[in-house]
Amino acid sequence: MAKITYIDAGGQSTSVALADGWSLMQGATTNGIEGIVGECGGSCACATCHCYVDETRLADLPAPSEIELAMLENVAAERRAGSRLACQIKASPALDGLIVYLPECQE
Amino acid sequence: MFNFDPYSPAVDADPFPYYARLRDEFPCFWSPEAQMWVLSRYEDIVSAGQDWQTYSSASGNLMTELPGRAGATLGSSDPPRHDRLRNLIQHAFMKRNLLSLEEPIRAIAAQVFGQLRGVKQFDFKDVSSQFTVKVLMAALGLPTGAEAIVDEQMVRDNAVLMVQSDARTRTKGPEHIAAYNWMQEYASKVIAMRRAEPRDDLISHFAAAEIDGDKLDEREVLLTTTTLIMAGVESLGGFMMMFAYNLATFDEARRAVIDNPALLPDAIEESLRFNTSAQRFRRCLMKDVTLHGQTMKEGDFVCLAYGSGNRDARQYPDPDRYDITRKPRGHLGFGGGVHACLGTAIARLSVKIAFEEFHKVVSKYHRVADQLAWMPSSTFRSPLVLELAVS
Repeated sequence: MAKITYIDAGGQSTSVALADGWSLMQGATTNGIEGIVGECGGSCACATCHCYVDETRLADLPAPSEIELAMLENVAAERRAGSRLACQIKASPALDGLIVYLPECQE
Repeated sequence: MFNFDPYSPAVDADPFPYYARLRDEFPCFWSPEAQMWVLSRYEDIVSAGQDWQTYSSASGNLMTELPGRAGATLGSSDPPRHDRLRNLIQHAFMKRNLLSLEEPIRAIAAQVFGQLRGVKQFDFKDVSSQFTVKVLMAALGLPTGAEAIVDEQMVRDNAVLMVQSDARTRTKGPEHIAAYNWMQEYASKVIAMRRAEPRDDLISHFAAAEIDGDKLDEREVLLTTTTLIMAGVESLGGFMMMFAYNLATFDEARRAVIDNPALLPDAIEESLRFNTSAQRFRRCLMKDVTLHGQTMKEGDFVCLAYGSGNRDARQYPDPDRYDITRKPRGHLGFGGGVHACLGTAIARLSVKIAFEEFHKVVSKYHRVADQLAWMPSSTFRSPLVLELAVS
């Protein structure tokens, strides 16, 4: 279990207790958080679950795979240092307290 | 005593009352008939779908697997082998790369559904299957027109047959295996054609693909191509049947999308949740797992009943209502996790265009029969025939 806080482009903040193994994308879509789309269902094929991870916590996350890096080239909003795809980040106790910022657009 | 037999014609016809009891009373259920566990709650299915190390696909993902297929396709392999295959194919299915298909798909839809002008009653399968095969041929680059090597209808018939299973023997029957073999032979001819004279299409690229100098083995090329054709034709066709079934059944929803075609995408999403054709897939346990007081053993098969998770009131309030304003985010209509359907973007695009064009020709329609004949399949669910009458 990890507490994850999503902050959307308008500053609206929502915290979710996410079961281990669930992705940050699933945490958003199953809890009514609008700033994440997740159109492909989590197979890392659409780049509509783009998020900005708090850069001070990036080291707590497993590094992005080649597929994720390739998909990050397709994000609609600006790509930044903390850019990740939420479907590729699985909740674990190491992520507790993580803050992710959502971009203004996904498509 | 409660029983859930995914081979039973009663489950083919209406699995939802069974699912409700599974979720509420037997959330981790051993089905002796299927010889596998059944997970039916949304949360359990999502968790299992995420945990591919425990719930492996490498022993096959179809409830009733086809011989020699497991391990050689995207759906029946685990990372890292899965990712290596996926990398080769995925770009072709990404939304932005499908833009060039929009016009050809619309032309196909206008031609196919245009045949219904003036028709008073028809089997929706006749038009949806024509549409599906033509779209798939365009998307994958299968030979058509003067180049065609088989009759289009044969592709559809065999794709539909190969996903079925025999209710009595609970296995694939000779006719299903024959259809599978037919499809493999067809795929192998197409691969040979594209290798001899490569084109700028998916199969040409895939057949010639090398990863770091390591060529895909022939079985991977053949069975992945076979599966793309099967999944494309059967899943898209099956889903279109279910969508038409819903719109012909729920008059209010049909009228809403006719009045405002911009609502079609929402109606499609709700159909994916409500009763999508891909109802159940399976995994194989790589270690013992205890869930809801039951211990499932390493090596046991587990059915992920996506169709049940989509009706779980713990996730979707009033789940048995078809409500096109629901916007059911996170639904399992395309599965979920690493194995979520590769074709989501082309499926959504094709169905939307198909129904836009269909509704230009036929806007008021209803089902002729109350009772339908349903496909015998432990994995997929759709009616074999859907007679519609123009109102």
